[in-house]
This record gives sequence, structure tokens and C-alpha cells, in this order.
Amino acid sequence: MTHYAVTAIGVDRPGIVAALTEALLEVDGNLEDVASTILRGHFSMMLVVSVPDGSSADELERALGQAAWPLRVAITVRDVEAGEVVRLRATHYLVVYGSDRPGIVARLSRLLSEREANINDLSCRLVGSEESPVYAMIAEVAVPETLDAEALGEEIQAIADELSVDVTLRPIEIESL
Amino acid sequence: MPVRDVVLYPNPVLKRRADEAGAPTEALRALGQDLVDTMRAGPATVGLAAPQIGVSQRALAMDASPHPKTTRTHGLLVLFDPVVLEAHDPDLLREGCLSVPDLTANVRRARRILVRAHDAVGEERVYEMEGFEARILLHELDHLDGLLMLDRAASSSDLFARRVYR
Repeated sequence: MTHYAVTAIGVDRPGIVAALTEALLEVDGNLEDVASTILRGHFSMMLVVSVPDGSSADELERALGQAAWPLRVAITVRDVEAGEVVRLRATHYLVVYGSDRPGIVARLSRLLSEREANINDLSCRLVGSEESPVYAMIAEVAVPETLDAEALGEEIQAIADELSVDVTLRPIEIESL
Repeated sequence: MPVRDVVLYPNPVLKRRADEAGAPTEALRALGQDLVDTMRAGPATVGLAAPQIGVSQRALAMDASPHPKTTRTHGLLVLFDPVVLEAHDPDLLREGCLSVPDLTANVRRARRILVRAHDAVGEERVYEMEGFEARILLHELDHLDGLLMLDRAASSSDLFARRVYR
């Protein structure tokens, strides 16, 4: 099987998932991991799919694009090697919120990157009123074992203080039952 | 007493309502011991339900005492035919399960419960449980009803891959 990463984005309406997954089924493709959400009214979906060897990215993009066109959903397809990436288990939630201003995510994600802490999952929402926009972000972060999470928390707090936003870094607790 | 293999989903025994255990028998006593031995054999395993070792009977073993979050506990328990009489004070926590090793899910469960069950020697008893001990009981009781923590995931974003890709 060959793996492709597919993105789909368009104004949200019922039927997008059905149209795309039916088109995938018709080319003997299989859905693997999927993440999807609505971003300011735009349905956005990322999929890693497998298709029989010999199916090209162009063919898949054409098949999905045809299904998506009537719904005004834009499709991209690119090669990926499924599962080749070593992914660290997320160890912490990083929650940040405050009055919206430029650079919140950029500053914090740069710090995480410099400390080799990986962002595994990220959701941000701009909420509040036009006069008083509020930015909220929650990330799942894999903090390396070699890194002192408390010290990282202090560095994060220092940036949050500069930006006047509120921040919490807390361990992800998984209870194995 | 043998340590049994832990059954993984999609084995259908995990999705079936387990049969009542009923009156104490030598076979049930042995099942209870197997549950304890298998639970003890797993690292950090705090509870195990009979369907997880492939036996569709309403039996479970649990022991909240080694866990750092435990406040009050009854220690090691082997329970048959448990029934929740009261449940209060729900709390959301991310759970993993031996039988679904690659996924975790946020699950809401009561923090304080009252449970009636038969104990290891077949005596009917009522247990007051709280905190982590209550969560273990409710998770294991779900196994007896054919429910996995996935059935209780609170939203679609609550499903997390625990697998480490290589």
C-alpha cells in the first residue's frame, strides 16, 4: 500500500465527509488517521490514507477533487511514508489564554522548539468581542525526559508575563486501569 | 495459580454482557485468584475484570492501594456480581486500558459510589468507595457490561493515540 496525506478545506456544510470518503472507497483507498474540525466556519480535514500501490498522488487528487468540487472543497494530496516518524508521547498540556495580540503562539512554540519539546496537538480559538478579542490555545506537548518541566514552565511563564497572557503547563495524567 | 493472557479488543468477549457469577463455587474462587495473579503480574495494573482474561463472568479484582492518588482504599478486593447503588460527584480523567493498549480517552465517572457485591468468600457486602478506587471499580464494572472507555469518550477530540510511531 502507498500512503498519502490529504487535506480538505471548504465552507462547512453537511456531506463533505461522505463525499470524500465515498470517493476514496471507489479508488480502493483506506482511511487511516483522521483529524478534522471547523475553523471559523471552514470545515478542515487532514487524512492519512492508504491506496493500492501504483495509484499516484495525482490520480487520488483528481478522484477526490471531482467529488469535492460541487461542495467547493479544496483538496491537496501529497506522499508520506506512514509511520516513519518517531513520535514522543505527549506529557503536558500547555494552556494559554488572554487578550489577543501578535506573537503568542510564535513566541511560545519557538521556546518549545528550542528546548526540543514537541507539539503533538494544537487547538487555538479566537473568541470574545471585536473590541476585546480573546485568544485561547491548548497544546499537548511532549517534554523530553532530559528536560526539567518545572524550569520549562518558568520560561513559559516569563514569556506569558511579557505578553500579558495567562498560562498553565500541567502534566497529562493517564490512569491505566 | 496461573497468570492468564490479557485479552485485547476486538475479541468479542470484551463487548458482551458477562454472566452473573451467582453462588460461590471452587471455580469462582479459582477465577478470583487468577484475576489477582494476572493483575499482580502487570506493571502498575490496579484492576482487572474477568472478560479481560477471556471469562464472561461478573467478577473483578482491584487494588487501589499502590497508586499515589489513592486517598482511602479497601486494599485488595475480589468482587462478584457488583452493583452500583449510588454514584455522585462526576469527574473527568484520561484513562488507558490493558485491553485497548493504543488509545486513551477522557472519561467522566463518579468520584463517590456505593457498591454492593459478593466478596472473595461469597459474603454480600456494601462498599463505600471514593476517588481513584471508585474510578477503578466503575471502569472494571463497565467491562462486565461489555463497555470500553471508548464507549464513554466525552467528545471526538477525547480520543488519543497512545502508540508511539516508529
